[in-house]
Amino acid sequence: MLARVANNLYWMGRYIERSEHVARYLNVNYFSSLDAPNELSQSRQFVLRSMLFMVDKPEKDEKKILNEEEVLYQIGLDPSSPFSILNNVKIARENANSARDLISQELYEAINKFYHYTINYDADEFKKNGLDDFTSNVTEMTGVIRGKMRGTLLHDSVYAIIMMGINIERATQIIRIINSKCQDALSAQGSYQHKFSKSFEWTTLLKCLESYDMMRRIYKKTPTSISTLEFLILNPNCPRSIMNCLNQICNNVKVIDDQKEKKPDSTAFLVGKIRSEFRFKRIEEIDENIYVFIKKILEDLSSISIKMEEEFFNY
Amino acid sequence: MTNISNNLFSSYVKNEELYDEIYDSNGDIKDVYKKLFSLYGEHSLTNFVKLNSKAKASFFNQGITFQVYNKKATQEEIFPFDLFPRIINPEEWDIIEKGSIQRSKALNLFLWDVYHEKNIIKDGIVPIDLITSSANYLHQMENLDPPGGIYNHVSGIDIIKHKDGKFYVLEDNIRCPSGVSYVICNRTALKRALFGVFNHYQTYSVTNYAENFLELLETAKPNGVDIPNSVVITPGIYNSAYYEHSYLAKTMGIELVEGRDLFVENDFVYMKTIKGPLKVDIIYRRVDDLYIDPLEFNPESVLGVPGLFAAYKKGNVTLANAPGTGVADDKAVYTYMPEIIKYYLKEEPILNNVKTYHCSRPKDLEYVLEHTHELVIKPVDESGGYGISIGNKLSKKELKKVKKEVKENPRKYVAQPIMSLSVHPTYIEETNSFEQRHIDLRTFTVLGKEKEFVLKGGLTRVALRKGNLIVNSSQGGGSKDTWVLKK
Repeated sequence: MLARVANNLYWMGRYIERSEHVARYLNVNYFSSLDAPNELSQSRQFVLRSMLFMVDKPEKDEKKILNEEEVLYQIGLDPSSPFSILNNVKIARENANSARDLISQELYEAINKFYHYTINYDADEFKKNGLDDFTSNVTEMTGVIRGKMRGTLLHDSVYAIIMMGINIERATQIIRIINSKCQDALSAQGSYQHKFSKSFEWTTLLKCLESYDMMRRIYKKTPTSISTLEFLILNPNCPRSIMNCLNQICNNVKVIDDQKEKKPDSTAFLVGKIRSEFRFKRIEEIDENIYVFIKKILEDLSSISIKMEEEFFNY
Repeated sequence: MTNISNNLFSSYVKNEELYDEIYDSNGDIKDVYKKLFSLYGEHSLTNFVKLNSKAKASFFNQGITFQVYNKKATQEEIFPFDLFPRIINPEEWDIIEKGSIQRSKALNLFLWDVYHEKNIIKDGIVPIDLITSSANYLHQMENLDPPGGIYNHVSGIDIIKHKDGKFYVLEDNIRCPSGVSYVICNRTALKRALFGVFNHYQTYSVTNYAENFLELLETAKPNGVDIPNSVVITPGIYNSAYYEHSYLAKTMGIELVEGRDLFVENDFVYMKTIKGPLKVDIIYRRVDDLYIDPLEFNPESVLGVPGLFAAYKKGNVTLANAPGTGVADDKAVYTYMPEIIKYYLKEEPILNNVKTYHCSRPKDLEYVLEHTHELVIKPVDESGGYGISIGNKLSKKELKKVKKEVKENPRKYVAQPIMSLSVHPTYIEETNSFEQRHIDLRTFTVLGKEKEFVLKGGLTRVALRKGNLIVNSSQGGGSKDTWVLKK
C-alpha cells in the first residue's frame, strides 16, 4: 500500500469516527438537559458551553451569553468552522476519494451518500428543529459505513490502517467526552444531593457513549464517578472503553507490522508498551487525579499517531 | 411522424435528411430494434421518467461525477446518460473491430518509423514538415526503443456513420484516450434500470476490459522483469477523469499512484509504500507527455516524477502510452492514414477517412478559404472538441474571423466537409420525449506484444443539444450503452 494512501485511509477512519462522536455528544447533551434534575444541568448556557468544550473550542468569557442557534450551527454545519461535523465529513470523503481504488464500491457509496446528506442538509432547518434528525442520521450513517468496512473490505493492511484510525480517534473522543463531563460534574456540584461522585452527569456521559444500558447490566446501580470511569476506561469488553480501543489498536498494528520481534522504535512496540501499562491499572489510581490521567492518555494517543506518521506515512 | 405506435415513442419525429440508425434503407424499423421498442413501450411515460431519475441517482451515489465550477461553489454533476441503447449487429461490428485494429497497428508502426529510420518520409509518402512542425513530436524519443515495441497501447478511435451508411473515422486518440469506464458504468446502470431487456438480446459483456488490458499491458514489460509490478498514475482526485483512473486501478487490482508517490533512483522507478520503496515496472499513465518528468519536459510540473524519462530511456520501465504518440494523432497526420495503412500493412484501409484539406498546402488553402461556409475547420493539435468551427453555423462576422485566423496560421488548421453523423432516438428531459440526436462511437483497442484486443462495445456519445454535431462531454454531450450482438 502506498504511504500517502495509507495516511489518507487512516484519517478517513479518524474523521468518520469523529463526526459520529460530535453528533452524539450534541444530541445526548441537548436532550438530556431538557429534563435534568438540577437547574444548572438544565441551563441552556451550561449545555452550550459543554458542547464547545468538547470540540476543543471552550468559551473563555464566563459572562458571555451564548446564542443557541449560533453554537449549534457552528458545531454542526458551519463550513467556516474547522471542527464542524460538516467539515469532518468533507475531509473524510476527500480521503476516501484518494483511496477509491483500494476500498470497495459499497463502502465508497456509503461514504458518498453520507457526504451528500451532510452538505445538503438545510442549515435553517437544523438550527430550528433538525438537531435530533440530523445527529441521529449522522450516527446511523457512520454505523452503516463501519458495517461496510467490516463486511466488504479485505481484512488486510488496508482494513487495519482504517481501524487504527477509528480506534485512536475513538479513544481520543472517549477521553475528551469524559473530560467534558468531569468538568460539567465539577461545576454542577453543590449541596449534598449534587455531589461530584453522584452527579447526574455520569448518566449523560454513559449515554453520550451509548454505554448506559450495558453499564447498568454490570453494576446494577445508578452510575457514580468511580463505576462510570471504571467501565469507560478499563473494561475491555465495553466497545467504547479506552482499554478496548487499545486492544484493537494493538491487534491492528500487528497486521501492518508482522515482524515477530518488534523494534524498540516501532509503532507496534509503542502500542504494546502503552497497552501493558494500562492493563495493570486500577480505577482508584486513576480517580486520585483524573486530570493527570486524561492528559497522559491524550499524550500517549498522540504519540502513537506521530509514530505511525514516521513509520508508515513517510512519503 | 413515426411508425412506432407506443406510449414512449409516439411523438418521435423522423427527419428524412438524417441517417437514423433505427431504420433500414426502406424506411422500416430494423428488426433488431423492433423488440426493443415493444419492450420499452410497456413502460408508461411516468414510469420511464422515474427509471431515468433512478438511473441518474445511481450514478450520483456511486460518485461517478465530475466537478462543475460556478460562481458560488463547486458542484458535482453526473455525465448525462441515455437509457435507450444503441445496437450494433455482428456484421457491422466486424468491420469496426478489424478497422480499429488495423489503424492501431498502422499507427504503432508509423510511430516506430518516425522516431527511428523515417522511411515513410524518405519514400515520399508523408512530407517531413508534417512531423517536424508538429507540437507533439518529441525529439527525446528519437531512436528510443519502447519495451515490447509498443507506442500506442491504448487507442481510442472515434467512428461515425455518415448519410451514405458507411463508417468513417473522425479522429484517432492515442495519447491518453479516456471514456472506457463509462462504457462499463453505462452497462451497469442500464442493467439496474431495465434488466428485463437483456433477456431478449445476446450481447457481449464489457466488463472484461480491465483484465484484458492488464494482460496485454504486461506483455510489453521491460526486459529482465519476471512478474511486473504495474501501476496507474493519475494527476489526482481533482482531475475530471479521476473516477476512471480509480476504476481502472481497482478492477485491474493495481495501485493508483500520483507523481509524489514515485521516485527514481539509479534509473529505476520506485513507489513509496508503508513498508518502504517497491520497484515499479509498468506505468499506465494518465498524465500528459509534458508533465511526466520535470527534468526532461515542463520543469514546472508537479504531477510528474523527476528522472522518470531517464529510467524509460534505459528500458527499465514501460510507459503506456509511450511519450510522443501525439505526433500520430495530429489531425494533419490523420489525412495520410489511408497511405500510412497501405505503406506499412500492405492492406486497403477498412474504415474510411474523411476527405481533408491541409491549409498548409496552397491549393487546399485556396479551396478552404473559398468554401469555408460548407466546411468544418479544425485546429490540428487540440482535443475535446475545442476550437472547431462549423462553417454553416457561423455568422458572416465569424466566418471572416475564422478565414483570417486560417490565413495567418495555415499549418494549425485542416478542413473537412461537414459530415452528417447518424442519429439515434434519445430521451430529452426538457420535452419529456424521444428525439433524434447525433451520435458517434469511440472504440478502445489495446495493443500488446503480438496480441490485440478490442472492447466489444465502445462508447456511444450523443450530442444532446438539438442539431449539434459535437459529442464531447466537455461540450454538453452524453452517452449511451452500446450493445454488440453475438452472431
